[in-house]
Amino acid sequence: MEDYKFLFKIVLVGNAGVGKTCLVRRFTQGLFPPGQGATIGVDFMIKTVEVEGEKIKLQIWDTAGQERFRSITQSYYRSAHALILVYDISCQPTFDCLPDWLREIQEYANSKVLKILVGNKTDRDDREIPTQIGEEFAKQHDMYFLETSAKEAENVERLFYEIAAELIGQARSKDGSSAAAAAAAQRQSEGSSIGLGSFSAKAAQSNCCGGLAGGGGGGSNGSNTSHTG
Amino acid sequence: MSVVDQLSALDLGTNGQVDETLQRIAEEEAKVNEKLEALLAKQCQIESKMSGIGRSLTLLHTVDSDSSKLNAQIVNTAQLAESVSAKVRRLDLARCRASECQQRVHDLIDLHLCSQGVIKAIGEEDYEKSAMHIARFLAMDQQLLRRTADDVQGSITSVSDAVKTLEDATEKTRVLIAKRFDEAVKSDDLASVERFFKIFPLIGCHRIGIEKFSTYICQKLASKAQKELRNAQDIAKAESRLQLAYADRLTAILENFARVVEVNQPIIEAFYGQASASLIDMVAILQHECDAEVKNLLMEFNKNRQIQYRSKQVNESTQKSAAGGGSVGSNSIQALGHYRKPSGGSVDKLNPKEIDAIIAEITVMHARVELYFRFMRRRLQVHIETCVPEKEQMEIMERYEKIMKNSDLRRQMQEILSTYLLLERYFMEESVLKAIGLDAYEPGQQCSSMVDDVFFILRKSIRRALTTQSINGTCAVINNVAACLDGDFVAALKAPLKNGYPSGYIDLAQAYNAIQTTLQQGKLHSSDADRVRGNFLVQLNNADISTEYIETLWQTMEQEIAGTFPQTSPVERQLLDSCLTELKAVRDTLKATVDFGMQQLRSSVIKPRLNPWINQFLNYSHNLNEEELAAYEAGETFVQFFIVQLDGLLNSFKSSLSPRNYDALVSILATEVTIQLERAIKKISFNRLGGLVLDQEVRALGSYLTGATSWSVRDKMTRISQIATLLNLDKISELSEYWSPENNKEMSTWHLTPNEVRTFLTLRSDFRIEDIKRLQL
Repeated sequence: MEDYKFLFKIVLVGNAGVGKTCLVRRFTQGLFPPGQGATIGVDFMIKTVEVEGEKIKLQIWDTAGQERFRSITQSYYRSAHALILVYDISCQPTFDCLPDWLREIQEYANSKVLKILVGNKTDRDDREIPTQIGEEFAKQHDMYFLETSAKEAENVERLFYEIAAELIGQARSKDGSSAAAAAAAQRQSEGSSIGLGSFSAKAAQSNCCGGLAGGGGGGSNGSNTSHTG
Repeated sequence: MSVVDQLSALDLGTNGQVDETLQRIAEEEAKVNEKLEALLAKQCQIESKMSGIGRSLTLLHTVDSDSSKLNAQIVNTAQLAESVSAKVRRLDLARCRASECQQRVHDLIDLHLCSQGVIKAIGEEDYEKSAMHIARFLAMDQQLLRRTADDVQGSITSVSDAVKTLEDATEKTRVLIAKRFDEAVKSDDLASVERFFKIFPLIGCHRIGIEKFSTYICQKLASKAQKELRNAQDIAKAESRLQLAYADRLTAILENFARVVEVNQPIIEAFYGQASASLIDMVAILQHECDAEVKNLLMEFNKNRQIQYRSKQVNESTQKSAAGGGSVGSNSIQALGHYRKPSGGSVDKLNPKEIDAIIAEITVMHARVELYFRFMRRRLQVHIETCVPEKEQMEIMERYEKIMKNSDLRRQMQEILSTYLLLERYFMEESVLKAIGLDAYEPGQQCSSMVDDVFFILRKSIRRALTTQSINGTCAVINNVAACLDGDFVAALKAPLKNGYPSGYIDLAQAYNAIQTTLQQGKLHSSDADRVRGNFLVQLNNADISTEYIETLWQTMEQEIAGTFPQTSPVERQLLDSCLTELKAVRDTLKATVDFGMQQLRSSVIKPRLNPWINQFLNYSHNLNEEELAAYEAGETFVQFFIVQLDGLLNSFKSSLSPRNYDALVSILATEVTIQLERAIKKISFNRLGGLVLDQEVRALGSYLTGATSWSVRDKMTRISQIATLLNLDKISELSEYWSPENNKEMSTWHLTPNEVRTFLTLRSDFRIEDIKRLQL
């Protein structure tokens, strides 16, 4: 169980009912539980994945979207290595709230945190936010972008695996600036650095659902951080 | 034949042979005769046995006939038994039918009795009696009654009449009881209410009874709660618990509901036993009322305690400070320590002391509600275990969990927890900033007041979070504590370390400047530098001791959490563990801070001070003859001078640094000494006696530094002692004794490469280059 090389914390945020819990369940348990009740506070799941031959433990924090849990969920931002900001492509208000969420992330999270914008529920027919709009927004705010469907299991695995790959890349190429890198540096064995985030690399290969709009400069780590602030 | 054969077979050639043969024949004859006689002697025995057998044969015939007779009898009996048992079965069936018949007759009789009795009872307003009759009637099998009516052709009318009468009576009684119950409620006649409450299940109206009774209780509780709420302040004043006025009111409300369930549970179990959902029905209705009452209370609470206004103030002040911090992330965290003033400065800023009492009150409220839910759950658990069939138990408990989860009370508590977390964070951060601001250092101590103060505040916050009985709340506060330590606290420690350690007068120019300014400003400058120096060391010690405090905090909190939440689910356990681990991880940041400070000391104290001392080394010649050596040893040697200087330097730190920091300082000093000394050695040349002196000097230095700290610095001295050993060689050829590891066990492995060895050997003026080159290393 403790046989892993990296430990990453991923926090999911976004309005109530956009499907955060379903995304996590789909990924960790392969289920799509219909009629999911609202999450209370935070929920916590662990999945160990193997990326580039390395065992990686992902701690996934599924937060409650409702306003009254905000002061609980905020406290988890600081230690996150990646933040997944989720909206519902068939619900305009969930997209409209994104700036508020970004403000909150800005206030509480580490400035170097990996941010991913996810438009969920692509299985729905009543789409209200075109892929391109989401992509634009992500680009503007220096986030990765992906559209998913927890129901149809579309892009869910990819989302988490690419986050893992990206975080490994960051941990290997940066020295001790973030907690992840510090923890990783202890365990790091060989120093093969990975220049490009796999997000952008894979986005180039696949042109389905808009792919991923890596932050500005093609998703390299350097440009990712230089834009913030 | 055989005799002839035998005879022919015999050799009858000679007389002698014939005689011999004859004699043999005669012997055989005698033997045969003997056998025959023996056989004849047995004849009478055999005959007597034969006659015995003949006699028993007749007896056997008798046995045979007897046994066949017996067999016939057994078969007979079996047939008989079978026919009897068939009869018994038929009899049993008949008896069953008879008793059923009897039951029906009884039912019929009862039916008549009930139908007569019920009318009478209703007439006399004896509801218990009429309800009993109806209960009896309802207990009968209605279909069977109808069939009985069909069967008993003769009196068909009387039976169906009775049924009809009773059905009518049931309907009438139901209406009547409901009406009477409502009247009793109206006249607030508790005895009657309870009387009719007990009648409802008799007339088959379990649900209605529960609903009506619960509604009645809710009414009573509502008016009571309203009255109490109006007097909340007065009551609190009377009990001199003004600060907990609303928590006390909430407790009273919840106690009322809990008491209702506790008191009525046995009644419900006794009278409503057969309807398994009765108690949960009641709980559901009560919960609804409870939600409403708590809502009223919280409205009053929010209004009187100015929760909204205070939350707004807190939010504004945090936003302002975040904006003041400028850029995001770690930068802003550092900035907070600088730009955020401890409260009390501006008028509209909330004083943390002001909300301390409110925070305490909220935790009490939250804990009471958790306790209330736990009480109800336990009551229901006991109830279903005794009164509900096993297969329905799960269903009831699930229903309760759902009622609880969806109740408005739950939601309100989530909201109030959110308020709590907001205020608690504000309180903690402001108090920590205040503690940092009021930091005081007492001479003689190694740490200043803020470490104790900050950790006291943080522990208080986590402990208070535990009293809310909420795992989510506790986790959030632990996260906030970690953030606060990692942010404001580390920033406060790091700020003086960043400015560096003002060293003494490194060179003349600086000393001159210092004297100049001192002359200009009186004594100010030097004391100012002293203060900065002192502060630097204190913060370094603070950081060091904080790593210990975090460990302690983590340990005690883990124990207290285990004590507060004895039964946690695996997910909750992981949640708590993960948050605690995050808290522990702040230790790494603190260790990095200590390292940072140590590096500052290295560059601003150790390096510049060592430089001139080591330079002294160059002034001592290491090309000595016997006389010079004697003279050198008679005077002050370099190492004596050097150790005195080092001792002076270390002593100035020993009392003001924490033991661990002092050890680290000695270690850094040892590293720096060896590096600089090595560099100096390379600059001069040695002869045999000079090498001897160097070896002595290095040994003296090594034993001094090892003695200066409990922590072994011997390891750091290895390289320099090996260099001294090289330079102290008698002949180059001696090297092989030291070089190959088999030959010397006490010496550790060489820290020098072969090339370095050659380089150092060239420093010996009496060693020939060719010999050095020829060395096999």
